[in-house]
Amino acid sequence: MAGNRLFVRRRDGRIEVRLNDAGRSFVRGVFAQVVTAEREPDHQWHASLHSPIDPSIDADNPLSTLSRQSETTTNAELALVCVDEQFLTNAEAWAWLTSLQVALRSVAVSNGVLSDERLAEINADVRGEIETLQLLLFSLAECL
Amino acid sequence: MGAVKPMPRTTTDSEVVTSEEVLTKRPWNVVVWNDPVTPMSVVVVIFRKIFGYSNNKCTQLMMAVHHEGRAIVWSGARERAESYCVKLQVAGLQATIEHAD
Repeated sequence: MAGNRLFVRRRDGRIEVRLNDAGRSFVRGVFAQVVTAEREPDHQWHASLHSPIDPSIDADNPLSTLSRQSETTTNAELALVCVDEQFLTNAEAWAWLTSLQVALRSVAVSNGVLSDERLAEINADVRGEIETLQLLLFSLAECL
Repeated sequence: MGAVKPMPRTTTDSEVVTSEEVLTKRPWNVVVWNDPVTPMSVVVVIFRKIFGYSNNKCTQLMMAVHHEGRAIVWSGARERAESYCVKLQVAGLQATIEHAD
């Protein structure tokens, strides 16, 4: 990834993506994982994508869970198809942000990172993945 | 002069519905929970996009989540609460709904 600012808001309203090949490859893999995790119950991120809406009842409203599944997949698929674009519209940037944030939370949940103490204990690989996602999210949030 | 028939008297029965029973509906809260990895600025952006709140209100809510572990970000009818909760979850935040006290 190049420079400090990975995303820059331009005067014409579009958001410039300043990721190098390695950076784009990383986010491509992340978006693809979100799409796969939503579809495959055995994926390690699947559970974090299906947390309860109303914990006081045994099963959530199927229409709400279907809506969540559909919107999550739509965002990740949109992010995936514009992953090589140099400039993003606001809608595309929102799809990137939500998909990266879903991935960040999924990495944390699937590795049991539910507290600051646990975050301090995780191995270097997971920490690196979390910090890379946070870096991308920080920069993208500045533009939105 | 002919006999004058009395005009039929029309009465308007106005019914005053008095309901002694006051129905109170408890609202539903949308709750966002803290997690150790989500950047604060991302939470603010998500609140602003989903609820249309001002930057100040979004920042206050984000700080409440950060310091208190959770914050009620919206209250109202169940259907809307559920819909907002889904939008927050799709955006990657940990959110649930609960009946208000």
